Amino acid sequence: MTTHSEADEVRLIEAGSLPTRFARGWHCLGLVRDFSDGKPHQINAFGQKLVVFRSGDGAINVLDGYCRHMGGDLSQGTVKGNEIACPFHDWRWGGDGKCKLVPYSKRTPRLARTASWPTLEQDGMLFVWNDPERNAPPADVTIPRIEGAGSDDWTDWHWYTTVVHTNCREIIDNVVDMAHFFYIHGSLPTHFKNIFEGTVATQYMNSAGRPDIGEPGETQMLGTTSVASYYGPSFMIDDLTYHYTNVDHHTVLINCHYPIDANSFVLQYGIIVKKSAELPDDLAMQTAIGLGDFVKMGFEQDVEIWRNKTRIDNPLLVEEDGPVYQLRRWYEQFYVDVADVTPDMVDRFEFELDTTQPTAAWMKEVEANLATQKAASGSVGG
Amino acid sequence: MMAVRPDIRLDDSPMVPVTCVRCGADVQVRKSSWNQTSVQWTGSALERCEERCTAGQLAASGGRGLFLACSALRDSIMDAVRVGTLSVVDDTL
Repeated sequence: MTTHSEADEVRLIEAGSLPTRFARGWHCLGLVRDFSDGKPHQINAFGQKLVVFRSGDGAINVLDGYCRHMGGDLSQGTVKGNEIACPFHDWRWGGDGKCKLVPYSKRTPRLARTASWPTLEQDGMLFVWNDPERNAPPADVTIPRIEGAGSDDWTDWHWYTTVVHTNCREIIDNVVDMAHFFYIHGSLPTHFKNIFEGTVATQYMNSAGRPDIGEPGETQMLGTTSVASYYGPSFMIDDLTYHYTNVDHHTVLINCHYPIDANSFVLQYGIIVKKSAELPDDLAMQTAIGLGDFVKMGFEQDVEIWRNKTRIDNPLLVEEDGPVYQLRRWYEQFYVDVADVTPDMVDRFEFELDTTQPTAAWMKEVEANLATQKAASGSVGG
Repeated sequence: MMAVRPDIRLDDSPMVPVTCVRCGADVQVRKSSWNQTSVQWTGSALERCEERCTAGQLAASGGRGLFLACSALRDSIMDAVRVGTLSVVDDTL
């Protein structure tokens, strides 16, 4: 009979419990243009049903979806003037959450309020501020402007939305997960650095092209330069440049989500591409759509992993892995009351990864793939 | 609430203090190899950092305000390795 010494004890996965609240911060619900038809829109977010509507005064409003009278579903109602009217008894609710009119009553319960969410329309996108403590968004917690958005020199947004059935921490982990970009997404990171500070978490990544992937005769992409930051818990702006032999394509990729509940979230991406002599209007938009298909494929590759993996709170890491624990420490600030945010969650932390060993190992794999492909095409041709 | 756990890689080789030769900011540093560096700042260290302050003043209002690294601190970290106050994990294996 063998006895196990402490050294070869089985390592157990600890998964803990899912968070019981939703992150404090700005969350993008999608493009403004998709909420601007004067009809109410139902959004399932933060464990609730919300109604989003553009009122007569032009403002986009977000309210709890259920009428405080008898529980009617406001997202099935009608926008009347500046208010949303409940389909059940026509009670009217303003964007400020106040009851404005009960058409069949002498008296309006003016003090009655339903939950309303602060909104922000910026660069063509609609944001809501979620805060379990129900405080207003602080002035210094903002979403930065995106220079190219709305500019004639850039394309319009190419936008994509999908539902993912796992807790949204999984997608946050990607910020630090250098190696998965090779194994899951077929890129080849050559430089990788993370910086967390305040409410911002940044990933700097350069990657080389993969000559062993793609169709023969396809224009070979030389590599990418990417600076991607989460501003708060859910909204990432990625300044992403694709390098080709004679030209660079400048793009901005939005990667954002909002939680439906603890076990699912809505994942969205948006892309704009800078127009140039090589990329006039139509071609730039085609490029945005082409890149979109590429990003969509990337998300699908992630989703396939998430669908089958377990949540893990105690990942076993090697030195060539990124700062998973420090990222989660940063992410935790959005799940506690403002008064409970500790300095270590927001203090600046830098982590530059040594890509020497990973790059060498992956170049060998690429060369082996190329040799196999060459041998295969040789035998077919031959 | 999720418990915040420390990085398991710090168990055997924790971060050690390094002081910037230019501004005197105290930070915690770990190097797992010559090319890998972790730097843990504090609020007061960041306030002292001259390059950081300059970068903040130069940043356009409304810009993203990203600050990559302080070159004086990078030099200070290299000095700490040379004089042996900061050991590289790779070399201790």
